[in-house]
Amino acid sequence: MAFDSARYILLQALQSLKRNIWLSLASVLTVTISLILLGSAVLFLANTAQVAKTFESQLEIAVFLEKDYSREQLSDLQKQLERMEGVASVVLTTREQAVWQFEETMGSDSLLEDLGGINPFPDKFTITATDATLVEGIANKIMAIEGVSKVRYGQGILEKLINFTHWLRWVGITVVAAFSFASLLLISLSIKTNVNSRAKEIQIMRLVGASNAFIRWPFLIEGLIIGLTGALVAILVVGLGYSWLLQYIVTTLAFIPVVANQQFIINVLLLMLLSGMAMGAVASLLSVRAYLKF
Amino acid sequence: MIKLKNVSKIYPNGARALLNIDLEIDKGEFVFLVGPSGAGKSTLIKLLYREEIATRGQVIIDNINLMRLKPREVPLVRRNIGVVFQDFKLLPNKTVFENVAFAQQVLGKNKKTVKENTLRTLELVGLDRKMASFPSQLSGGEQQRVCVARALVNRPKILIADEPTGNLDMENALGIMELLDQINKMGTTVVMATHALHIVDMMKKRVVRVEAGRIVEDSKGEASTIGI
Ligand SMILES: Nc1ncnc2c1ncn2[C@@H]1O[C@H](COP(=O)(O)OP(=O)(O)OP(=O)(O)O)[C@@H](O)[C@H]1O
Ligand SMILES: [Mg+2]
Repeated sequence: MAFDSARYILLQALQSLKRNIWLSLASVLTVTISLILLGSAVLFLANTAQVAKTFESQLEIAVFLEKDYSREQLSDLQKQLERMEGVASVVLTTREQAVWQFEETMGSDSLLEDLGGINPFPDKFTITATDATLVEGIANKIMAIEGVSKVRYGQGILEKLINFTHWLRWVGITVVAAFSFASLLLISLSIKTNVNSRAKEIQIMRLVGASNAFIRWPFLIEGLIIGLTGALVAILVVGLGYSWLLQYIVTTLAFIPVVANQQFIINVLLLMLLSGMAMGAVASLLSVRAYLKF
Repeated sequence: MIKLKNVSKIYPNGARALLNIDLEIDKGEFVFLVGPSGAGKSTLIKLLYREEIATRGQVIIDNINLMRLKPREVPLVRRNIGVVFQDFKLLPNKTVFENVAFAQQVLGKNKKTVKENTLRTLELVGLDRKMASFPSQLSGGEQQRVCVARALVNRPKILIADEPTGNLDMENALGIMELLDQINKMGTTVVMATHALHIVDMMKKRVVRVEAGRIVEDSKGEASTIGI
């Protein structure tokens, strides 16, 4: 019994797809586009998150001191800084070292003389934090220490990156939602057309007492086939596209930290598959519902 | 078998199709519904297979109160009722056999049962030799026989027909009536709405006359026809 019914249902679904082939193809296409957008958005956001995280962890705090400190005072201060919570490392660059570094980068060896013997550089500590989220707190605390003239860290840049990803997330969600909505509409339209062309059959099915589930199945299968086909094409595009992109970035832009985690990529592709099937199922149930009221 | 208690049907647009109908039909009866156009015959018939729901009153079929039926129970009730219409409602791209088999397939019956039942029923209506034909290759009478076969193939207790002879010439109409009589004699309760008064006269069955939504005459218990 189950086998005969399943065969009947599958046959109906395939016939429907064939009968309105252009509408079916258009539905598949919108599903593919929405899912490509969905997959790309998720992968892109994962990568920006990864970039943000990497750069965050490389964030340094530069502490410039006010007046002439003696060696002992400097090493006392360094110890004080090292004892602070969340501080990973403290590196001292003395005023003299700063001059040498500057001369080295400028290719001159007479900077001090040129400036009339006055060293314009302050002593400087370069501090890294154990966690990027602690940077701001540490910086504020150091600011309060007497003798500290200026504290500088990646103020702004990080916020900008985070703001950008937030903004991008919303744009991504909006665009994906809009396209998903469009594909829902198109799948519904193509299924409704098929419901209409089978109106007589449905009428007879209801008349002889076929269950609602039985009447719905072919349309559900039809929606699932559209969603599934759209998803498979999208998975192919995103999967191949992303692996090509990874290849490209790893060989030519190696400094960008990409997400190459196999499991994660597979999960994204699975998400696309499930979303496609869900779209098909939801669209078909919505479009058949109106026709099957008792 | 069929019981209507104080049933009224008012359509959403305000049309008062049936008013305070009381009607009882026993198992094995053959009942004609007659009356002028717009009297409410089709509406009454639609209440029986729950295509429409009564606005007031109770409709009870085989001890099941249709007013209390949950939507998902509707198909189960319909399996007990065969319905035949004036326009044949056959699927044009299916053969005679497939049209009749369809009614069982959609109930999930297995291939063997479907085949047996279909052949048996086509034999009953006298169309076993035409089972490979398409509806367009059949006469009106033959098409209506296919519909009767389809209505009967799931062995319903009740057969409902709304002007089944409306599109047929006299000869074919009589053939269908003979068939319905035969089915009735096999134990199926038959309810038929019709304008064909000569047929009603001839059959000598119970006649319920509806006018403007009310039952104005019922020949139950009388041996012969009522004045028409
Ligand atoms: N779906 C509907 N919506 C609104 N009004 C309806 C509907 N169906 C029938 N009616 C009205 O209900 C009344 C009874 O109609 P019904 O079809 O039951 O009559 P009938 O006796 O079958 O007539 P006929 O002999 O012409 O088939 C009519 O006034 C009709 O206009
Ligand atoms: Mg009518």
